[in-house]
Amino acid sequence: MASASDEGLGFGSEDNDASISALPTEVELLKRAWRNEKASPEILQFQEDVVRNARVQIQNMEDTVEAYAEDGKDALTVSLYQMDLDRTEFLLRSYLRTRLQKIEKYMIHISKTELWNRLSKPEKEFAKSCKENMENHLKQSVLSRLPFGYQDFLKQSISSEEDDMVPEPQLDTFVFCKSKGSVGSFQLDAVGDEVVDLIADDLYVLRYKSIKPLVETGQIDLV
Amino acid sequence: MANYYDLDDIIMEDELVSVVFQVGANGVGLLDPGAETNHIQQGAKVELPFWLSQELQLRQAASINLPACFNQKTRKEVQADVAYVNLKNRCPYFYEFGCKVAPLVGDRTIGPFLLYAFKGRYKEVLSKAHSAAFSVAPKFLPLLTKEETHLYDAAQSSMTAYKKWRVGGPRFERASILKKRKSNG
Amino acid sequence: MAGQSDPHLSIFSAAEVEFLAEDELVEIIPNMSMDSLNFICGDFGPFFPHIPTEVPMWLAMALKKRGKCAIRPPNWMSLENLTQVLEAERDSRREFQPLPFHYVEISRLLFDHARDDIPDVHMVRTLVEDIRDVRFHKVESGFETIGSRTHAVKLKNLSAMEVNIVRPFFVRALQAFYKHDSPQMIPRPDTASTRTNIGDLPRRDLRPR
Repeated sequence: MASASDEGLGFGSEDNDASISALPTEVELLKRAWRNEKASPEILQFQEDVVRNARVQIQNMEDTVEAYAEDGKDALTVSLYQMDLDRTEFLLRSYLRTRLQKIEKYMIHISKTELWNRLSKPEKEFAKSCKENMENHLKQSVLSRLPFGYQDFLKQSISSEEDDMVPEPQLDTFVFCKSKGSVGSFQLDAVGDEVVDLIADDLYVLRYKSIKPLVETGQIDLV
Repeated sequence: MANYYDLDDIIMEDELVSVVFQVGANGVGLLDPGAETNHIQQGAKVELPFWLSQELQLRQAASINLPACFNQKTRKEVQADVAYVNLKNRCPYFYEFGCKVAPLVGDRTIGPFLLYAFKGRYKEVLSKAHSAAFSVAPKFLPLLTKEETHLYDAAQSSMTAYKKWRVGGPRFERASILKKRKSNG
Repeated sequence: MAGQSDPHLSIFSAAEVEFLAEDELVEIIPNMSMDSLNFICGDFGPFFPHIPTEVPMWLAMALKKRGKCAIRPPNWMSLENLTQVLEAERDSRREFQPLPFHYVEISRLLFDHARDDIPDVHMVRTLVEDIRDVRFHKVESGFETIGSRTHAVKLKNLSAMEVNIVRPFFVRALQAFYKHDSPQMIPRPDTASTRTNIGDLPRRDLRPR
């Protein structure tokens, strides 16, 4: 499946510098991004290139389908192209939506940590307005009516030393994952008393926290 | 605090624990229903919600006693019939409560006890959830703690979703608005 | 755990797992001619009558539903192979036999839409269901071997749909095991006895941790 090449589509593959046939297609890359994003407890790096390329391909395919329909191409062929288009659009929409849900859930945590850099520009705008809306709403409906010292949006009280009302993703949850290549011996805990040998293509259930770097570098995929 | 808004966590901290006041305290007589004055004597035993007890203990104003749901009597009862003992009526937040209380009462055996109870029960939770015979649920479910109920629900809902999928039926339905856009070109 | 009610434990719906399975390739025998299809997901065809060609499941299903092709069931779906797999599955108490990652979804799609293309379809169907039952049972009893503080569980050959079914329970249960066996549960002797000075305490007024 991964060997299907995107050459010969007649459009938009020049932005990809490599043309090795084993290279995953844009759809494969999008699917991987989607799966990882769905399965990871925290928001991952926005896959800018993947999304841009998928958008180009979707746009081109929409034009193609339209042209086919106008040219009176047989209905079967047109409907098959439409299905291919629908599937890609589903992946893209679901990917973006999954991210928006995470942003809504952890907007404050994201906006005050390095996770902020993982968002795309529109996502940053969304997060910002989300946060402002939430803050205004809470201030108007609750916080402004509380006694002095308890009116902060992020702190329980004036004596809180840190922002202690910020929901965070649970990183010590367990995830199902597969490594693509052999990762080799891998230390699972900071204490280092447990080491596991991750064999390519075998399925593991591990704590997200312990494999986080491998997910971020793309060495391991969540399923 | 990562789980500041976690309802279960908030409710759990309302569990009552018995504490012994290490100091006398003025003006808090309402905490002790048996008190005749507005004063709590040093050494007085009072039942307080966990969240308050914890603060008092941290400030060395009171010390928390081992809650009944972790005492030797309960442990024996649990050991006698671990899979079917009613944990819920002992404490609906048995596990979470145990995790919070253990370090405060300095009891190293609570952890292993929780683990023992959980080990002895989760398999039954899983198989009951999967067999999903509705006649089972009314008898079995009331025995479960909050976390065990979550586990049961988790196992059952994914199995139900699978069975529903297997029978078939419509899946991705396109929003009609999308279809319209397409057909308009 | 700690009362964390995480609604996001079931992260893929069964339909989404099926969606992924529909990208698996299957061989079809068209009964019509059609030009190559240059899809976003790859190029397929051209199609000629009686000439087998490989296409994704979703395309095979679409053509099959319109009466444009027959589907060649994958090799692993033969009566012979499935009988062997079932036996091996029963013989081994803990191991799962290698089957395609999407065998549950692929077999359902084929049983639903291409019954006439599967030889001995009733037998095959019964076998697949038996295999699945044995494997599910194994997953359930496999929990016995999960002990205390578990960092890693290897589930060699567990399939996509099986993963999806056990995931919500599995993740919660593992978290509970992890939590209850945590070193934090066992106070270090020094810190337990020598209490901190009140002045040193961080001031946390409302919901302390």
